[in-house]
Amino acid sequence: MFEKFRVLIIESEGAEAAKLRQLLRECSMGEGGIRSVETSLLATPADALENYSELRPDLVIFGPCAARVAGPDDLQRLRARAGLEPVPILFVKSERETLDSGCLQAGCDDILLQPYNVNLVQLKLAALQRFCEFNRSLMAQRNRMRRHHADLLKEQASARQIFDNMGHESCLDQTDAIRYHLSPRAVLNGDVLAAAYAPGGKLMMLLGDFTGHGLAAAVGAAPLTSIFYSMVPKGFSLSHILRELNTKLHRILPGNMFCCAVMIELDPHKKYVRVFNGGMPSVCLRRRSGNLRLLESSHLPLGVLEEATVEEAIVYIPIEEGDQLYLWSDGIHEARNLRGELFGEQRLLQAMATPVADGRRFDHLLATVHRFSADQHDDLSLVEVCLDMAPGPATTVAGNAGASQEVIRVGDWAINFTLGPKELCDADPLPLLHGVLAQVPGAANFQDPLTIVLGELFRNALEHGLLQLDSALKQTDRGFAEYYRQLHSGRRALEEGWIRIALRCRDRDGEGVLEVEVEDSGSGMPEQAAAGNVYSGRGLPLLRAICRDVHIQSGSSRVRAVLNWGAVSPPTAAPASRRRAAKS
Amino acid sequence: MAVLERTTARVDSELSEGGDALTIRVCGNFDFNVHREFQRAYQNLPLSPKHFCIDLSETYHLDSAALGMLLLLRDHCLGDVDDEAQCTVELRNANDHVENILLVSNFDKIFTIR
Repeated sequence: MFEKFRVLIIESEGAEAAKLRQLLRECSMGEGGIRSVETSLLATPADALENYSELRPDLVIFGPCAARVAGPDDLQRLRARAGLEPVPILFVKSERETLDSGCLQAGCDDILLQPYNVNLVQLKLAALQRFCEFNRSLMAQRNRMRRHHADLLKEQASARQIFDNMGHESCLDQTDAIRYHLSPRAVLNGDVLAAAYAPGGKLMMLLGDFTGHGLAAAVGAAPLTSIFYSMVPKGFSLSHILRELNTKLHRILPGNMFCCAVMIELDPHKKYVRVFNGGMPSVCLRRRSGNLRLLESSHLPLGVLEEATVEEAIVYIPIEEGDQLYLWSDGIHEARNLRGELFGEQRLLQAMATPVADGRRFDHLLATVHRFSADQHDDLSLVEVCLDMAPGPATTVAGNAGASQEVIRVGDWAINFTLGPKELCDADPLPLLHGVLAQVPGAANFQDPLTIVLGELFRNALEHGLLQLDSALKQTDRGFAEYYRQLHSGRRALEEGWIRIALRCRDRDGEGVLEVEVEDSGSGMPEQAAAGNVYSGRGLPLLRAICRDVHIQSGSSRVRAVLNWGAVSPPTAAPASRRRAAKS
Repeated sequence: MAVLERTTARVDSELSEGGDALTIRVCGNFDFNVHREFQRAYQNLPLSPKHFCIDLSETYHLDSAALGMLLLLRDHCLGDVDDEAQCTVELRNANDHVENILLVSNFDKIFTIR
């Protein structure tokens, strides 16, 4: 069952060699529980080296004459040949010789004393055999672990590949406004970054960090990204997407797993950003002036509870030119230097405050962290978003597509859509409406302005017409949160009322006109609202910029907007060119 | 490669005389390495306790895996009772660093932190 125990004897004197052989034979015949010994004999260390790989000895014994002349080099070469497997080397010595310490300096592992004592030699051999077996099983385990580790790396590489492919839907690389650094190991650290444009040119972005490491964390990111990329382009609202993510993750993930996440919605038309932070390190808003504002986590991570109340945790921030937003995972905070100190938020904020040239902040941050923790820099995620970015590419396409629009049939159709109180409680009808309109000929080129108009009119009907909310609330941060709280609870409590959306498209000599009419069951707009105050901030100017005509009548709860189907001027053209002009 | 010497963590637990309150103390780093000991501390008890107290006075650091373990403990104790109010999980004596981690994750919304 066991292989023989291979002993190589190196001895130039024939008589001594024969004695050793005899000794070993006696030992292996005894009752000491040792394996049978197979001996081979060579005259010099040089011969031994030459035949080493063929003999593969488990033990090497230098006979008395060979031991007398063996030097440290001989032993070193033998050991080098043995590689990782430790092969003990014994010298045969007389008791008198061992008094001279010089004989041990050659570096043998142990001594066989002459005259030989069979019992003691047998004991020694048994010990050495156990040592060899132990070592062999250790090596076998090491090899097994190596194989497993190689398999694991292969699996992780496949997981990465899948993620890279899924990331192709993202718009991260389509704009100069976003810079990001995801460590090569980020996927397997559970970090995930997704970004996509919503209809209307809004940018939605999510930076998430799953609990745990390795494949489980990476797999958790799959449902997250698939929900994100399917809901964002359909025009679902920030809170709707977050609630959906939370519910799905709660259902899918095991009890001890969850996902910390920051999600932002950036509207370049209305110049605001909304930020949700559930369990991530504070997001940093850097104003052009250099002022820093931290947006700390104000919600449980996604997937912890079945139901999430995300509305109250969403922060609304009006933006100005030159504002930037920084998102990061805790990899930065937890980067350690050689002394074991954490990089921490303080150092990070210092790096944020240090004056650096425009556009160099991102590199400065990364460089600072890398300098601090020389050997673990590939563990972190960092994102920079220029908040005064140009709107999404879809809008630009709408603007440039004038030529191709002419050949598209305009169509002649009307849609009436009425939502009752049950629908208005919870459902978001806009994605459904977009879905229907996307099928209409030519509508794809028209999606963004239509999204903006429908969104504005619908929200106006719901928030002011039906629920009678006061826009003035929205002028402070706290008020904004309160406004959304009232909106949310108001919708939940709706028992009557309706909103009707009517769309009518007509072909006027090849030039299309689209009428959007939104009416609600509310009491109609008060006097001053008709003058324009009903829309908080930029709502009405935005509508006027997009539409050929906007009819608002005081006392009526009906608003009508008329859009040119063919030659609508892209609402982004003005701000975008202004931005370019300011830079040149 | 981590250059830090790994401090070995330890989990102690103590059941009150009536058996309805359990105190679990995690000493050192509260992370994945203690998950078996942590679960063993509250599983397979003859009588399931109504009050859990996690003593963090000797916890230096706590990572997301530990947060996950706390969620599992919460599921465990909520799973046994019909009424949520009957069962409490309390996190006590956290140092500033650990408390900050708990607050960033908003765990104060689902646990009592003292």
